[in-house]
Amino acid sequence: MEEMVMTDAAFAADAAAADAAMQELRLPMVTMRGIQKSYGGKPVLKDINLRVFAGDVLAILGPSGSGKSTLLRCLCHLESIDDGYIGVLGQTYAGEDDIGGVSYVAGEAERQILGHMGMVFQQFNLFPHMTVFENLMLAPVHVKHIPRDEAEATAIAMLRKVGLEEHRDKYPGQLSGGQQQRVAIARALCMHPDIMLFDEPTSALDPELTGEVLRTMRQLADENMTMLVVTHEMPFAHDVANKIMFMADGVVVESGSPEEFFEHPQQERTKAFLQSRL
Amino acid sequence: MDHLMQMVLLMLEGTEVTLEIFVVTFILVLPLGLFAALGRLSSLRLLNRALELYIWIMRGTPLMLQLLFVYFALPMVGIKLPDIAAALLAFTLNYTAYFAEIFRAGIQAVPKGQYEAAHMLGLSKVQTMWRVVIPQMIRNVLPPMSNETINLVKDTSLIYILAMNDLLRVARTIVQREFDMTPFVVAAVFYLVMTAVLTWGFHRLEAHFGRYAM
Ligand SMILES: Nc1ncnc2c1ncn2[C@@H]1O[C@H](COP(=O)(O)OP(=O)(O)OP(=O)(O)O)[C@@H](O)[C@H]1O
Ligand SMILES: [Mg+2]
Repeated sequence: MEEMVMTDAAFAADAAAADAAMQELRLPMVTMRGIQKSYGGKPVLKDINLRVFAGDVLAILGPSGSGKSTLLRCLCHLESIDDGYIGVLGQTYAGEDDIGGVSYVAGEAERQILGHMGMVFQQFNLFPHMTVFENLMLAPVHVKHIPRDEAEATAIAMLRKVGLEEHRDKYPGQLSGGQQQRVAIARALCMHPDIMLFDEPTSALDPELTGEVLRTMRQLADENMTMLVVTHEMPFAHDVANKIMFMADGVVVESGSPEEFFEHPQQERTKAFLQSRL
Repeated sequence: MDHLMQMVLLMLEGTEVTLEIFVVTFILVLPLGLFAALGRLSSLRLLNRALELYIWIMRGTPLMLQLLFVYFALPMVGIKLPDIAAALLAFTLNYTAYFAEIFRAGIQAVPKGQYEAAHMLGLSKVQTMWRVVIPQMIRNVLPPMSNETINLVKDTSLIYILAMNDLLRVARTIVQREFDMTPFVVAAVFYLVMTAVLTWGFHRLEAHFGRYAM
């Protein structure tokens, strides 16, 4: 009987252990280890480590030029790392190769790993010569070879999800920035990714249009999508993310839960950054 | 009146030669120019350099000289082409260089973000070019292409020196024989009709490919 009654401290320790056990059980979606990257001899990423588990929403914060975009772009091979390891859903995406360098897997293996990831860019990057619907259909039909009617059903469902089904036959240039960004999200979702990457998805938008995009992202997070989000939107990071990573000058200065990070920042740089964002 | 009719008929025959050179050159130059542009943009260093040299020579020397070279110099080293083939070879070589530069600029004007979006969606290099980049390139290249195409129509008159009976040569022959300037006026009208049709056609294409905003 006595053993059943736990002290608060013991209970907390137990809960933490249970949490850790849970973390171990959850699938690591993204693993980045010892990531190094320079541009023309200038180091931009200096030994970055991160792990993202299924359902995590990781907000990557930091001042301009700290390497946030570069990190995200290295993860999906829009840039190449110089050193380190990248794993996606347990598969090696980039790592040491036979000739002692570091390289990404290629060809079909790369396409397969990229298929797990969807990316939303600051500048939307929709295909301007295709209608909204054609933008959504292109990759499912021509990359995944999904039957047309099936791809159409998915495209319609995704457009409905982002609230744009009545705009399916418009060209991107006929839509507002916020609508274009929601189409870009829908386009990525049509490939059924497991991980969504966002690089400042609202930075190119007029302030009154950021809300609709953030709402769509929040909805995705509620549906347990694994997300890595580079953002300057502090309220979004605070409310939606379950992990915060703060970068400066190519290193991770501090990371933790939103409560720890926003309420009890440890590092001076973090405090200064949060001050400047108030 | 009868006389004028006869003259116009003669000149229509000359126009046939002119149009033949124009149409065949134009059709050949479109794919060749595109491949040359892709080669110029590729990372294959040797191909790149070779095309650069080729374009430099073709754009840096007069088309007239190139025509004379193909027509008179090649036979000296044992390559004897029929008249029309010689003219087509010179025109195609020359205009491929110009079109390659137009296509290259048109491809380079497509933003990097388009390639990045294609990469993320898993499109292959060929799919990216064919479905994303080239359709946008077409829109970019139509205005300069329209100019070059009209130049090509007018440049066909250079075959005059190769003793081929194109529109201009027929006109001059009649003028010399009859001491009458009318054939020159008729020739001018013929050229104007051809360039007007082309201008109209390109406007239609620009309207079609410009239907979306960038
Ligand atoms: N293609 C490139 N070539 C050279 N230097 C680059 C390149 N891309 C980024 N850099 C440099 O790398 C550093 C990190 O850039 P990055 O874009 O990753 O920063 P960021 O944290 O995303 O900044 P921001 O908040 O302004 O988007 C910067 O100093 C930048 O100038
Ligand atoms: Mg950035």
